[in-house]
Amino acid sequence: MSGTSMLPQKRKVPLPENEKKLYDLIWSKESLGIWTADMKRETGLTNTAVTKALKSLQAKNFIKDVVNIHNKGKKFYMAVEFEPSKEISGGSWYANGSLDLEFIRVLREQCRKHVASLKSATIEDVCQSIKDSGIFKMECTMQQIKEIMGAMVLDKEIQELTSSGDGEFSHIPAGRKCYRRSRAGAGSTQGYLTSVPCGVCLRIDDCSPDGIISPRTCVYYNKWLGLDF
Amino acid sequence: MVGQQGINYAVCLMSTHFGDVVAVCECLIRHGSLSFLEVVRFTELPQGQVKNSLLVLIQHNCVQAFSVPKTVGMGGITKPVTLYMILFDNIIHRMRFSKFCLIVKEHLGHQCAEFLEGFLQHGRLTFELLFDRASGLTEGKATRNDVLAKFNELVHAQYVERCPKGEPFLEPKSDEEVSSIRKRIKSSGDTRTIEQEAIIAAAPLDADRFSGIISLTLNTEEVMKDVNNTLETSAGSKRKHEVLEADEDMQNAINTTEVLWRVNYEKFVRCLKKKACVANVRSRLGLDAAIVLEAMIDANDHQNIAMNSVTLSMNSIIEGVRGKPGGISLTLERVRAILNQLGSELCPEESGALYTIGLKGIIENCQNDEVESLVLNKYGKEAYRIFRMLILADRLIAMDQISDNTFLEKKEAQKILCKLWKDDYVEMEKVNLNAGVRAEVFLWKVNKKFLWEHVLNDIFHTALNISKKISQVTEECQVSKSDEEKDKRLKRARRILESTLLKMDDAIMLFHDF
Repeated sequence: MSGTSMLPQKRKVPLPENEKKLYDLIWSKESLGIWTADMKRETGLTNTAVTKALKSLQAKNFIKDVVNIHNKGKKFYMAVEFEPSKEISGGSWYANGSLDLEFIRVLREQCRKHVASLKSATIEDVCQSIKDSGIFKMECTMQQIKEIMGAMVLDKEIQELTSSGDGEFSHIPAGRKCYRRSRAGAGSTQGYLTSVPCGVCLRIDDCSPDGIISPRTCVYYNKWLGLDF
Repeated sequence: MVGQQGINYAVCLMSTHFGDVVAVCECLIRHGSLSFLEVVRFTELPQGQVKNSLLVLIQHNCVQAFSVPKTVGMGGITKPVTLYMILFDNIIHRMRFSKFCLIVKEHLGHQCAEFLEGFLQHGRLTFELLFDRASGLTEGKATRNDVLAKFNELVHAQYVERCPKGEPFLEPKSDEEVSSIRKRIKSSGDTRTIEQEAIIAAAPLDADRFSGIISLTLNTEEVMKDVNNTLETSAGSKRKHEVLEADEDMQNAINTTEVLWRVNYEKFVRCLKKKACVANVRSRLGLDAAIVLEAMIDANDHQNIAMNSVTLSMNSIIEGVRGKPGGISLTLERVRAILNQLGSELCPEESGALYTIGLKGIIENCQNDEVESLVLNKYGKEAYRIFRMLILADRLIAMDQISDNTFLEKKEAQKILCKLWKDDYVEMEKVNLNAGVRAEVFLWKVNKKFLWEHVLNDIFHTALNISKKISQVTEECQVSKSDEEKDKRLKRARRILESTLLKMDDAIMLFHDF
């Protein structure tokens, strides 16, 4: 019973019919909120009736409008007792409906720094290390660090490995997932195709030995080979 | 099957190396295996020219003849027909001759490399012809025994092999055999084309393929035995074949009675595959890991199969590692940790545990690196992050998950994905979650098989462009002798182009041969 008493309680105040219909619908969507077009479709109310009822409910502080990061143009409403879910707000990486790029940059920089100084480290090691540094006023969650490190693995800034429990991984139990700086550095190494103008040429499909665009007349080739005299 | 640009590149190579022969070669590449008369009809060339072209192509291992039974006329009489198939890979290997020579030079020395060059230049040689060539090169100083010793070194190291049968006959399969093959195909999903069957039928037994020549007197007896065998079979088959007169000279030339030797391209592909795998591991996991992998590959190299994985006991790994420069300092613990990093699988055996490393995974890594680097250069680092996420996931992923995991605004991620989709780098599927309600979700994935073919086609296209540019620069070099500055620049450009073409060939091997 104590668990249910923590849940937001629906207000039992008599409301006009249209407002009650809308309030019940908005309340039922809890922290996900609902888009005005979906309200009209589900209640069958007219455009004007919905707009009027929403205005009234908002004035009575029953509902609030929220930004959906996936559809910023769409108006979403939610009962005031609820906080927008991760699906709506974008989670901890969003501030005011936009990606908090500065926070992401700083946290990424910190992760990079601590992985480098620890040589090889688990998510917990990096998390503890950042916490000990005291650089952030609020605490960064393990999930946040994990997500940032995931993106760094995609960028090949760091490598994800499994600890063997010895050698450079002696401080990490065998079989645990851990991270270290990539040997090759961030980004992929120079590829075969990218070392030639054709590799990144947007007109490659129009190029043929006897065509208008051909290696014989290609300006990019002449520039690459120093033959543009 | 290679794409259009692969065919264009092969035609360009043959045209540079053999001139007129290219018409027959192109006809066989574009139409598949054909009979002599079909080649004549398609190319509209005189029979004599087609015959000579085919003989040159067979001599240089670019064409393999085989015969199949064919029902002719209303009476349903079955008679063998000789077909000629193009060996596309062997045409592309012609670009790699300098790499092959270097491999042999490093392994067996300068003289063996010179002999190999003979095989590369002439395609197929008897020992006698090889000796004549060696004699000519050394102004008569080379003795038969010296040449034989070097030749055997090449054969035992599997760089040179006995030529396959000139024209294997593919027997028609009995009903029982056909149904058992069908069952096998159904269960394993394994289908072999008639050309693949012909290659298997033509291949000599492994024992003969790399047996070398024991002594020169024995060799003569062996030749005589082979002559008799071939004469018997060819006489019998001639009666059966009832070949056309125009084809008869060809038959005699193909079914030669001499023991011919040629370069074993499979061995060189394995050597270059090892080089690519070791280089990738060195850059990803460091020098020590490269030493361990190289030792394991070397110990497995005696098997004459396409290497997809290498398996070895710990004792043999340690022994191999100790024999490598820099390997002496590697402790047992270090080797064990490296094997773990290399993702080795442990298989307990009675004689001790065996470690297996998949080379396929390493090659896939190299291929991923190449395509990822293309995406990075063409579309930027955000696209690179998205693309890597899709490659690693290897399944359909929803738009929201992509933007979340790559720290991109949904609109931005959508824009990038659309660009990648337009250029065929990713595939998209639209899923309607609730029937009747507008709740479409876009799912994205990388279709590696399709994309890899697309990239290979672009690599062939680039190699073709470079080859054409080399021809142009060479022509200009010949007329610019008077302008010193221009001549210097052209020569420099040619050097850049030639080294880039070799790199492009590495890329072709990565996506086509490994």
